[in-house]
Amino acid sequence: MTDDTNAETDDAFVPAFSEAPIGATLGSLAAIMSSVGTLAIGALMVLIVADVLGRNFFNAPITGVAEIAGRAVVAIVFLQVAAAILQKRLTRADFLIRRLHRVSPKGVCLIEALFSIAGMIVFALIVWASWPKLASAWATSEFFGVQGVFTIPTWPFRGITVLGSAAAALAALYRAQDEIRKFRSLP
Amino acid sequence: SAGFAAAQQTITVNIGSSHPEQNIWVYAMKNTFEPEVNRILEAAGEYKINWVESYGGTLYKFTDTREAVMDGIVDVGMVGTVWEGANMPLQNVTYFTPFATEDHKMIIEIFDDLSENLPELRDSWAENGMVHLSSLITDSYDIYATFPVNSMGDLANRKLNAPGTSANWLRGTGATPVDGALTTYYTNIQTGVTEGTLSFASGILPTRVYEVAPELTRVGIGSMYFGGIAANKDFFEGLPEPVQKAFREAAKATSKAHGQYVEDLAKRALTEMQDAGLTIHELPEAEKMAWVNGLPNIVEPWLEQTGDAGRVVLKAYFDALRAHGAKPLRAWDEGL
Amino acid sequence: MTTLSIGLLLVGALILLVLLGMQIAYALFLVAFAGIWIIRHNIDLAFRMLELTAYSGIADYLFATIPLFVLMGLLVSVSNVGRDTFEVAEELLRRVVCGLGVATVAANTIFAAVTGVSIASAAVFTRVAVPEMKRHGYRSAFSAGTVAGSSVLGMLIPPSLLLIIYGVLAEVSIGGMFIAGIVPGLLLAGGFVAMLISVTLLFPGFVMTDPEAAKKRRLDRDFETMPVGRMIAKLVPIILLVILVLGGLYSGFFTPTEAGGVGAFGALLVALSRRSLDRHNLWQVMKQTGVISVSILLLLIAASYYSRMLSIAGLPNAIAGLVNQSGLGPMGFMVLCASLILLMGMILDSTSILLIMVPIAAPIAQGMGIDLSQFGIAIVIAVEIGLLTPPFGISVFTVHNTLNDPAVSVEQIFAGTLPFIAVMLCVLLLVILIPGIATVFL
Ligand code: NA
Ligand code: NA
Repeated sequence: MTDDTNAETDDAFVPAFSEAPIGATLGSLAAIMSSVGTLAIGALMVLIVADVLGRNFFNAPITGVAEIAGRAVVAIVFLQVAAAILQKRLTRADFLIRRLHRVSPKGVCLIEALFSIAGMIVFALIVWASWPKLASAWATSEFFGVQGVFTIPTWPFRGITVLGSAAAALAALYRAQDEIRKFRSLP
Repeated sequence: SAGFAAAQQTITVNIGSSHPEQNIWVYAMKNTFEPEVNRILEAAGEYKINWVESYGGTLYKFTDTREAVMDGIVDVGMVGTVWEGANMPLQNVTYFTPFATEDHKMIIEIFDDLSENLPELRDSWAENGMVHLSSLITDSYDIYATFPVNSMGDLANRKLNAPGTSANWLRGTGATPVDGALTTYYTNIQTGVTEGTLSFASGILPTRVYEVAPELTRVGIGSMYFGGIAANKDFFEGLPEPVQKAFREAAKATSKAHGQYVEDLAKRALTEMQDAGLTIHELPEAEKMAWVNGLPNIVEPWLEQTGDAGRVVLKAYFDALRAHGAKPLRAWDEGL
Repeated sequence: MTTLSIGLLLVGALILLVLLGMQIAYALFLVAFAGIWIIRHNIDLAFRMLELTAYSGIADYLFATIPLFVLMGLLVSVSNVGRDTFEVAEELLRRVVCGLGVATVAANTIFAAVTGVSIASAAVFTRVAVPEMKRHGYRSAFSAGTVAGSSVLGMLIPPSLLLIIYGVLAEVSIGGMFIAGIVPGLLLAGGFVAMLISVTLLFPGFVMTDPEAAKKRRLDRDFETMPVGRMIAKLVPIILLVILVLGGLYSGFFTPTEAGGVGAFGALLVALSRRSLDRHNLWQVMKQTGVISVSILLLLIAASYYSRMLSIAGLPNAIAGLVNQSGLGPMGFMVLCASLILLMGMILDSTSILLIMVPIAAPIAQGMGIDLSQFGIAIVIAVEIGLLTPPFGISVFTVHNTLNDPAVSVEQIFAGTLPFIAVMLCVLLLVILIPGIATVFL
């Protein structure tokens, strides 16, 4: 027994492949990306602790922790956002929706579908806005850091933004389709 | 977006920065560039500028100053090339060649000239979709610490805030560079995370670092080229000829005003900090030379990255330094 | 139409979408995209700023601490450190009127010294305190309200994510902000205790379903007391964590930004040493951390894009101009800021409010000679009230979700937090009137 049994997020948002092949594929992709993001959080903690210990006991701080942590946190967001969308975990004020649900569950499905389409548009816009810079970062070997001290290429990070947003757009689209399906199945 | 007001044409110019108006690199934009352009244009009466200001980082962060001007988020902006090591490495030559000169006005003159007339530098601005208008610099870097530095031995096993390229300057000194920014120095030193910082007088005054690091050792690591005030290239080329000329002229006045502002501020900063209890020490000449000669060849990785263009810029910069009468303590251009 | 009125219309559009229940991040992104496009007549610019914000809007060491603070909170809770703290407080406060309520506040105060986010406290103490209070005749909604209300202490007593964010935005020392938060935090805790006792004495029906049972428990002398040794054993982990986080911070071992990382690591060690973590458990906690963090961080990106749109609309400059013309004094200005934040707090999350408000207000405050630490504490208290106010009160939602009890509605929990909001308003007013409360140790 622990204080917080809320720690039960699992891969429940991944449907069985036989029932929903698209949903299963998308869900698995989101779950994998999200796991990488989760590992990144652990790595971030280890990096910070190593830097603190290195600086205090060995006169050897790890160079570039601040920049790496800054880039990593963005990567963590875009790695996990698709899973968060599929799990319906994005923050919202749902007091009106909850009231509406009592009156008209079908109406709620329609609204939810519209909101999901809005989400799809948002992430599609981010993909559209971001891929040119990914291409140019790749072409020019853009890096962050300081020559002679440490340098890290930016394209993997820009790539994660694009890939994560693309997955998020698909996830939102899938959510919209799911709501419409529910709308049809309701009396 | 231009409209007619009587016979006078009004041109809207979006101007902005990642730092507030009081900042040394922004001060002259607001207080010299804008009024100077207004004054010049008013005399002719043909055009009038409607300035839309976004100072203080409300539109973009300091990491994005190049992209902001390049992408036209602002038409005119402060561009910190010091943060653009990947896309504008040539401009960072001063950070890889410390102990060149402490005269920041000289750096302004040199880089105003080179940015306009040296093809490598001029093209680098153009390739990034910008037109360089006016140079921005720092005054000379020294050590603000909890201890005085009388000999190089005093630096051994000390932790000093030295972010980015300045970490290079501590190589071979035995001191450990710790990352940070002007905003973190005070807390870092107060709590003992570090024991001091490399910084310059005009920048350090508002952070009150002297309260926790009351020993200033003048080392004279040198004044650095920080970046430039630049215009978006498409925007600038679309301006009517007289307005372009006004911008160029105002930019010259801005360079002068910036140099003077930094000088006054640095002087005032030293007085105020001393009144608040700061003690000033000089690093003895022999120790300073030991530092300079003990540095590894830190310009090498920069030359590798920048190739032939880097060689040209380094040579032109050091030629200009000597032509202006500076005596760099180390000939970083040796063998070029 | 002026850009300013377009800007105001867009703010209206945002509020409408949020009230309708659209995911807040979506609403912020869409409204901002449309706003930049319309105001500058340039869709390319909207795309470029979107790219810039998505790629570098939160690319900062500071924001990397958010998942680490969340991780620390969750690790502390799986290792039952929160439950143990509560049990000791419960034991010591057995004889006090509304003892379990006071114990919740006390445990939250101590817990606050290791966690930097309020949601962590809210989740932990919902599990621990609410069932216990219910069992002893307290009304469920009041119990839930007490947990939600006292969870705000997590953000005022250092370390605190909100104080870090304020420190960065206002360019004041984060270490200094942490010190400035101590007295107001304790004042708030004391105010909560006083309020709980007086409300219980004056309106027992609001607090208890069965006031007699609670009274009987309070006066009961036949209970088995917890041995002092066990109490100490229960408190050791939290004390070690407090020493690690605050001690490390003030001895220069690490910076406030690093406190999240070191604290999470310390919490991991505590959890491992108490054998409350196996590999499966750890992975679940890490994943939970990811899910909670991403919803906060995505909001931050969206809010940053939105505030850039407002800046293009000229809203910050216009507000600054209005304030300057209005002839408000420092106090009037602080009251105005606090009122605006209270309004925003109804619909926006705390970080977004700081992102929108501080860059506009802090320079004005400084210009008026207001101490930026005092200003920051006032602002953060006002922002925290928003954690408890409907329609969007994240602490209340957290408690409601964690409790998962169909008999307790969100509305009832909102009602239960009302007395806590009243205490917070009093402390807010005190901080505005008496700068010394925040600046005494600076
Ligand atoms: Na805290
Ligand atoms: Na609220």
